[in-house]
Amino acid sequence: MFLRMLGESFVRQRRRKLLAGLAILLGTTAVTAMLALATTIGDRIHRELAVYGANITVYPKADTLDVKIGGQTLRPTTGGVYLHASDLEKLHGIFWANNITGLSPELDSSISLGKLDSVPPSPVPAAGFWFQHNFGDAKVKLITGATQLHPWWKLQGSAPQGSGQIVLGATLAKSLKVGIGDRLMVLGVSDVADPVTVTGILTTGDATEAKAIFELSTLQQYADLPDAVSRVDVSARTKPEDAFARKDPDTLSPKQRDLWYCRPYANSIAYQIREAIPGAAAEQVRQVEQSEGTILERISGLMWLVSAAAMLAAAVAVSAAMATAVLERRTEIGLMRSLGASKVRIASLFYSEAGLLALLGGIVGYGIGSLLAALLTARIFGEQSGITLRVAMAHAFNPALLPVVLGIALLVAIAGSTASIRSALRMDPSAVLRNNA
Amino acid sequence: MKMVSEAQRQHAEAMLEGAAPVIELLGVSRVYPSRSGVVHALNDASFTIGASEWVAITGPSGSGKSTLVNLLGCLDTPTAGTLRIDGTEVHTMGGGDLDRFRADKVGFIFQQFHLIPYLSALENVMLAQYFHSMTNESDARAALDRVGLSHRAEHLPSELSGGEQQRVCIARALINDPPILLADEPTGNLDAANQRIVAEILAELHANGHTIVMVTHDPEMAALAQRKIALSHGKVFCHPVSNVVKLSQ
Repeated sequence: MFLRMLGESFVRQRRRKLLAGLAILLGTTAVTAMLALATTIGDRIHRELAVYGANITVYPKADTLDVKIGGQTLRPTTGGVYLHASDLEKLHGIFWANNITGLSPELDSSISLGKLDSVPPSPVPAAGFWFQHNFGDAKVKLITGATQLHPWWKLQGSAPQGSGQIVLGATLAKSLKVGIGDRLMVLGVSDVADPVTVTGILTTGDATEAKAIFELSTLQQYADLPDAVSRVDVSARTKPEDAFARKDPDTLSPKQRDLWYCRPYANSIAYQIREAIPGAAAEQVRQVEQSEGTILERISGLMWLVSAAAMLAAAVAVSAAMATAVLERRTEIGLMRSLGASKVRIASLFYSEAGLLALLGGIVGYGIGSLLAALLTARIFGEQSGITLRVAMAHAFNPALLPVVLGIALLVAIAGSTASIRSALRMDPSAVLRNNA
Repeated sequence: MKMVSEAQRQHAEAMLEGAAPVIELLGVSRVYPSRSGVVHALNDASFTIGASEWVAITGPSGSGKSTLVNLLGCLDTPTAGTLRIDGTEVHTMGGGDLDRFRADKVGFIFQQFHLIPYLSALENVMLAQYFHSMTNESDARAALDRVGLSHRAEHLPSELSGGEQQRVCIARALINDPPILLADEPTGNLDAANQRIVAEILAELHANGHTIVMVTHDPEMAALAQRKIALSHGKVFCHPVSNVVKLSQ
């Protein structure tokens, strides 16, 4: 009987139900779109902000007085303290290993370089990097290196693949008057002359332009610093920085410390890197991290505001529609009361009706909202970020959002109906039954 | 009006004579707050209605009839006094208990029938079962048969005449076998022919031992009752007039 009444009453008063359903649909569409965007936007913004460089930098602990001006290290390149490149594998074992999206170790040194006919070659600063290095493991595939971590670099030609290949900074190439394909003579610490081919010219906008660039292992060989690394730039997907992120974990209670440790703040990832790599100091690069945090906080706030406004508007519309619908059925309510129906039982009928409406509106709203989120993602981030509509669709249709959206729709429908249902149940059934034909 | 058999009349008289009161009011008042103070809708009412008695409640508009119907139908509780129905002190009950009690003890017959328009005659009767306990289609069909409407069981209210709708309403009131039938202007919306049919059904129900409390403006209908309770300005005036004999005349 309950289902019969629910079904029959659901299909009646179509205009009012349609209005309430439409309000729920629009509200859930907005919420779904906002939630779908919010769940993917952090990743997208991280990728967008990755063009401004790494967000964590790792360097030897004993090397804390590393002074860099305009990208130029002012400490002596010899006698410095180095990290071990082989220790970087330990990053696969940290708690937030999967959040590491890029890695660029750098070795700063100097070599002697000259044209094949110049005697003797003159000393120039040199830097060794990874280029297209496979840093993945059995679970994650990660091809990374200097060009990924420094997306603003402009490399004419190609990156050095190993020994016998060199890339020159634009300034150095200009001073040596050499171009791509020219052959040069390299003298390392062993004073053995090695011919190398210039495979590319690099424009970086900083002091690197004055350097000779090698593949990391090649420079380690020339500098006779096997496995040595001066610094490592790390790009990691992080949670925006907040007050808790800035706490010193060593002053927190064990419970709070666990909480801090298990949140992907740049600070806590840096902390875990320090734990994993012996003799390493790791710090977040504040400017990038704070920009990311600020942007995400503002966007997230805006999204919550839009979602809340949409749901409030939906609740008001549902309330108005339900008030009229319930008012039109007050005789029915009076009759049910006279037949001994409890207020709870009558309310459950109307709430079920509102719930059914919420579920229908919520499901359709989820579909439309997800589609909208996909369109917005593709529109905002565009194909230059690798976000085609198909990729955006795959991310936007998140089944985990459906129960959340339906829950919100139910809450709105129930909240919107409560005032009308309560007022209907407060009516004097006898008066209603006497006054209504 | 030859409505009941002699045997039925005698049975009703016998029940009335020895019957314990099914409704008892002792100093019952219902006061409503208003801007100018309070309104005494019902003032110090005291009377009893015996089991199997047929009582007519009369009075002009604003006399307190609705208030009395609300109290007898357990849709409201008195602000003072004692109201006992079928041995239970109703004035102490509230909320869900009162709903449960109403479903058990009172069957309502309305002037405007109040059938749910999207449910068939049978389903309208079963609705009262649903709110009372469990639905039983064969019992509901039997109740419709009792008012001569078994052939119209699947029809919607809009497909029934006024008289037929009122008979469905009576079947719905009877379905849970309540000790009290509370009829509020049961013939107020009917033509003469249908009035007669409904009056006959009420008379038959009374003859079969049902207690009927009927609010009416119609002197002819009031005359069918054994006793009138007249209301004026919230005050009760009882007329112990038995009309059982008239029924058989």
